[in-house]
Order: sequence, then structure tokens, then C-alpha cells
Amino acid sequence: MAPPSLATQLAGVALEGPLVLASGILGVSASSMGLAVRHGAHAVTTKSCSLRPRKGHPGPVVAPYEQGLLNAVGLSNPGAEAMAEEIRQFKARFSAPVIASVFGADVEEFAQVTEILAQARPQLFEVNVSCPNVAAEFGQPFASDPQATERITRQVVARAGGIPVSVKLSTGCLSLAEMAQACQRGGARAITAINTVGPGMIIDPQARRPVLSNLVGGLSGPAILPLAVKAVWEIRRACSLPIIGTGGVESAEGALQLLLAGASALGLGTALYRKGLGVLEEINQELSAYLAHHGEASLPSIVGAVHG
Amino acid sequence: MADAVLSLPVLEVTEWGPGIRSLRFPKSFDASPGQFVFLWLPGVDEKPFSISALDEDGLELVLRSVGPFTRALERVRPGDLLGIRGPFGRGFQLRGDALLVGGGMGMAPIRFLARELDRQGRRAPLLLGARTAQEIFCHDELAGLGARFATEDGSLGHKGLVTELLEPLLSQDSPSLCACGPEPMLLALRNVAQRHGLPCQLSFERYMKCGLGICGQCCLDGSGIRLCVEGPVLQGADMDLVTDLGLPHRDATGLRPG
Repeated sequence: MAPPSLATQLAGVALEGPLVLASGILGVSASSMGLAVRHGAHAVTTKSCSLRPRKGHPGPVVAPYEQGLLNAVGLSNPGAEAMAEEIRQFKARFSAPVIASVFGADVEEFAQVTEILAQARPQLFEVNVSCPNVAAEFGQPFASDPQATERITRQVVARAGGIPVSVKLSTGCLSLAEMAQACQRGGARAITAINTVGPGMIIDPQARRPVLSNLVGGLSGPAILPLAVKAVWEIRRACSLPIIGTGGVESAEGALQLLLAGASALGLGTALYRKGLGVLEEINQELSAYLAHHGEASLPSIVGAVHG
Repeated sequence: MADAVLSLPVLEVTEWGPGIRSLRFPKSFDASPGQFVFLWLPGVDEKPFSISALDEDGLELVLRSVGPFTRALERVRPGDLLGIRGPFGRGFQLRGDALLVGGGMGMAPIRFLARELDRQGRRAPLLLGARTAQEIFCHDELAGLGARFATEDGSLGHKGLVTELLEPLLSQDSPSLCACGPEPMLLALRNVAQRHGLPCQLSFERYMKCGLGICGQCCLDGSGIRLCVEGPVLQGADMDLVTDLGLPHRDATGLRPG
């Protein structure tokens, strides 16, 4: 008997399997994203892209600790024109879908970046309305406000050239259910949940100061898996959009929790640091084994199974 | 947690020449030659540096003032606490005979490698080059390890490029070329190695941010390998699939200038 297929779908985009390289991880260039594909990722996401190039914050931009990672890279990216070129090169070299992550200081920048990146025809857009690391520069993320998020979603969808749009949400809002419904009203075709959590702070007791130059940073890694599982579960109940479940997955066990909660695909990031690039193939193999063991013919048959 | 930042006191600051000095810290981990650490000056920035020595006397880093961060480090004094993260990356593989070449600040990891091989009783030919004698740090120690020097202005040793010292040595049994220095020097050595059928291990440099293999900033074009994890020392075969050697490096935004 053939091994069960891991193939899945997101807003009409076919993926050979559920593993998506999350935004902010290796998303600088066609080649860096290709590294993840060669190690088993089924789709990749670019770093969040703004209109102009951004250097990001001074170092340290990462602070690992036992249960996870705190980061405040500060949305460094080469700007929309250069990122469009990286997307073109990626598409010329790899068959895995590429998701273009879009960021802006205001609604108009979100829309302009989308329009420029749309010329490179990524298979999906992801709207980063929820980065917790740049509050000093941009104020509170849009993702704490359903109306603002719906407005941005509508503008991005209007300028996306027919490419489906996912909106990346965080737990930093009153109701994820309301947020997801606002995204759907705005024309989103998928939700990515969750962004890094917090922000949090790590203090070096010897230096007697916060480690990150930005003082605070988004928390990722296994510590946030239960938050991601609950968020996916809540969004699945609130709307009909497919979900890229992201947050703390570093094993098949975590991957299965998100799939069962309702995720059609899985974003991986911090696991690539904590477990190495081999974690991608490892999860693929264990997911196949799980499906075979439970007599499931395909991955979509377990998506959202916890909802009965 | 191994990768978390460690605050360590500076034990000693040694001035070697204009804008070049080394900082010594207490030894708090093991590392192999070619590996690097991130050095954090609280309130300013954090940047990667090759380890230039590591033994019971401590961890040593050589710094050259080239920008705001290294200039800010000029005010560091013994007793000051700085942050160290690491060691990161893959260093030189210490097997078989080696021939060591260091250029400019690339002398730092080559010094660590030369010391380590000497400690193992396997002293290797050591060729070091710089623009001028003032840029040669640890001269007496390196001369004691048998170093031959080249300077572009002729102020020390051979007048010219360090690669010019190499050819006469290549008639011996094929050693592995181990080198760190400016990228044009590394590419010249790679050509020499290919012509003579020698294995080579070359330490490259790219803009780095995380050191953890996830930000993607130091990925080489082509194969996409991460210099902070799969490098900074690349073996001959690692370089075959890289397409941006010799090009201007991507900057902090990820953009390649020019």
C-alpha cells in the first residue's frame, strides 16, 4: 500500500505537504529559502517586506533560553523591489509555493508593497499585522484592532492581483475569533496564527540590563505551542478560512496538535534552530507514520478532527 | 543554555598597532579553531568575531577599529563586563598535514589554528600577510611559530601578497590549505588548490545577525548554506555550489550593494 499523502491545500494553493517555512526564518533570499525546501519544507515565506530596505535593530537581536527564543530582529528586509526579484528567482529554481509576507507603517504602505510583490506572482500573500517587535517605531500592531485589520486586508486584497491573501494574527488581541472574522470580511482567504507572543524581556543579571537591544522581543519556541493550538482551535470555530498553524512546533506531536485543532498547514521557525534543519524531514516521516497507523488516507482528513 | 549570552570580565587589553588590539576573557567554554563568538557591548551593538586564541589563559579576540561598534570598543578596559555568545559554526578540520595562510584580520583564526597544531606537535607552515607591518598582531608569538610574513608595502618580510609565498612550498606532499582573509585572497588560494589538486578549507565572512542559523542573513547564494552554522570554514566541495563568492556582500537589509 502506498504511504499516505501529506498533500494539503491553502486557499486553492496545492502544497505537497503541510510544512511552511515561517516568516522571519531564512527568508532573505531565493537561496536561503531554497535551503529549507531542500531539507523538506513544502512552502516558504519571505521575511516581512516593507517598501524601502530596513536594517533592523542593532544586536543582540536574539536571546535563546531553555524553553524558547526571544527575538527582535526589527523587520530587516531588502525592500519590495529587491524582494520581488528574490521571489522571481525562487520561483525559477524551486517548485514549492512561496508566500510573500507584507509589512507597512500604514495601510497605504501595505498596499504598495503588495502591488510591487504581486508582479513577481507569489502563490500567496501573508499580511504581517502583528509583529510585536517594532512598537516603539510603529505603535501597537494593527492586529489588536479588528476594524484596522479588516481595512488593511481589504486594501491588500484589492492590490494583490488575484493572489490569495492570508493575515497573520497574534494572541495580542481581545478576541481571535473576532479578528479572524474581520479578516474574512476583508477578503482574506487564509489565516496564519500565531505570530510570536508578548513581547517579553530577558535580563542579564551580570550586565544588569535587558539582553535585546530593542529591550523586548517576540517569544517563540515550544513554550508557545499551547497558545498556538488554542488560537487555531478558536479561529477554526469562528470562520471557514484555512489556517497556517504556527507556533512552537518542533515535533510531529506538536504538528498533530495544530492539525487536529484545525490547521491545514504548519509554520516552522524556531525549531530549525533548536532541532536543526533535519526536523523538517523528521516531522514529515512521523506524520506519514501517524496517518498510516490510524488508517487515514490523507492529511486533510485529520484537519480539525478535534471539532468532531 | 549554551547559546545564551555570558557576561564575562575583560582580563586584559593589548594594543598591537593603530586601531588593532586584543581582548582577553576568562575561558568559559571549549571551541575549535575557525569558530567564532558574538561580542556584545551593552547599549551599543553585538557583532561576530573569530576566536584568535583559547587556552587556560583565556579566550582572546582581536579587534580592528573599522566602524562605530569597534570604535566604541576602544573604551573597554580590564574589568569591564562584555557579553559573549558562542562558540558558533564549524571550524577547521584538524586532520593530515596543513599549510596555513592568514591575511589581514583573517590572521586571527589562523593564529588559533597554528597554536593548536603546535600544541599537538604538528607545527604547520604559516604564511601571514597584511598591507603593512603595523597590521601584523602578535608578531613575536607568530614568528616563534615559524611564520613567514608578507606586506604590501614591504615593511615586513616579503614585499607583495601572501599568496606569492605559497607557490614555492607546493612541491612538497599535498597539504590541506587552511586560510582566512579577504575574499579575493581566498579565491586565489582556491584556484591554487584546484590547480595542484590540494584539499582546501577556507573561512569566509558574511553579514551575520543571529548566529543560530535562522535569520538567513549569512546564507550564501546558490546552495543557500548558512555561514554561521555550516561555515564559516568551508571545505572545497561546499564552495562548488556557491554563486556569490567574490561579489559584494549582502548588507544588514539583505541587499547586495552595486
